[in-house]
Amino acid sequence: MLGKLMKYEWKATWKLLLSANLLTVVMTGLARWMVYLMDEAPYSRDFQMVDFVAVMVLFTYVASMFAVYVGTAIYLIHRFYTSTYGDQGYLLHTLPVDTHHIIIAKVLVSVMWVMINVLIIYFSVIFLFASSTEMIKSMMEGFINIIEYLGEEKISAFIVIMTMIAYVFTLFAKVLKVGACISLGQLSSNHKLLLSFAWYVGIYIVESMFQGVYFAIRSAIHRQVSPMDYLSSFGTNWETTLISGIFSCVIFYILTWYVMDRKLNLD
Amino acid sequence: MAPVVQCMGLTKTYGRKIALNQVNLNLERGRIIGLLGPNGSGKTTLIKIMNGLLKPTAGEVLINGQRPGIDTKMRISYLPERTYLQPGMKVLELVQYFQDFYPDFRVDRAFDMLARLQIPPQERLKNLSKGTKEKVQLIMVMSRDADLYILDEPIAGVDPAARDYILHTIVSNYNRCGSILLSTHLISDVENILDEVVFIKYGSIVLQAGAEQIRQNERKSVDQFFREVFAC
Repeated sequence: MLGKLMKYEWKATWKLLLSANLLTVVMTGLARWMVYLMDEAPYSRDFQMVDFVAVMVLFTYVASMFAVYVGTAIYLIHRFYTSTYGDQGYLLHTLPVDTHHIIIAKVLVSVMWVMINVLIIYFSVIFLFASSTEMIKSMMEGFINIIEYLGEEKISAFIVIMTMIAYVFTLFAKVLKVGACISLGQLSSNHKLLLSFAWYVGIYIVESMFQGVYFAIRSAIHRQVSPMDYLSSFGTNWETTLISGIFSCVIFYILTWYVMDRKLNLD
Repeated sequence: MAPVVQCMGLTKTYGRKIALNQVNLNLERGRIIGLLGPNGSGKTTLIKIMNGLLKPTAGEVLINGQRPGIDTKMRISYLPERTYLQPGMKVLELVQYFQDFYPDFRVDRAFDMLARLQIPPQERLKNLSKGTKEKVQLIMVMSRDADLYILDEPIAGVDPAARDYILHTIVSNYNRCGSILLSTHLISDVENILDEVVFIKYGSIVLQAGAEQIRQNERKSVDQFFREVFAC
């Protein structure tokens, strides 16, 4: 049943989200054209006009990427809420399927869309900047510098892969956190959305406190390192990111499952 | 054979408000049962608990001798009082959806009913009127060979002609070995198809009897008797 749930989750989301991502692709093409025109413009009589239009298009490009990224997140949250705890939840929760499958299908499809979105933005930026020969040169130099740095620091491919895995778990944890907060908000008979938001803020505060305690302990053990050094290097510390990612996934998954399976409250 | 539904001391509270109060109820197989009560009497709460959409505060409900879960959802065909369809879906996709998830779904029966109502399978649900959406939803529910059909207010908010169609669809398509639990406060419209009635008031069952038994003993229709029992 998991495959079927994923199929219908994908079918319910692909049209809007694919259109939004295609908009990013179109805007990238337009922006790249503008960068090309700006390169050529100093030799043109319409320099000021080209410059003005190019700036406007580039501004729209950045705004559209931001809007698509935020819009994707808002749409997925809205979709989770309406299909699980809204009217459509009456069909979903009367299907003869395991609650685990419902959660996994929704989380996997959401994570897939976020990843697609992030990859498109990433390649869009590379494509845009790669339109200039100077930029290609500086990007190549930057890339070579990173490789050299990894070699000097003896950072193996294993660590690079583990860091990427750690970030994937972090992404899953973020999606599951939203699901858990929406689910916890359903425990109340009134103001369910408000309560979901309150849960999100509460969990965010608790997470921050845990992070603070963790950094304080680490800095106490390694006296020569200040907590600020750990804060700045947190993203590169793959073990911590991986452990906290897995831990968060487990906690938020259990919370979501518990509410959906044991405390369902479609009133 | 065990009753299709067994409620034992079923209680549901919302804070201080009691929605269901120590409900004890057995529903037998092969019968059309009316769950009758005024608005706010606890009909929908009882139905949601049977479907696993709400958890009881105390007591338990058994469907085919099992607590609500995957196995009971496999055997219950539920029509809620609201539209649960995805607006972007086509009618055909909805048929495929039900076929994918419910092994007892009869595709030919669904298409037959859709054709009789001249509902194009390629039409998107968002383009259909509210009444047609409700009919599509009913067609999906009645195209299953379930042990228990739970229909929550299936005729509320529709015109008299549509009511006749809905009741005709229910009576002609249900699995004869199964039961229908039909919740409504529009008694006169459904009275003729009911084998049994359950009166619910303030979250408690006040009467469970055969429809014919009421007519004979009380010498009045179920609708008239209901008005007496629930007189304000």
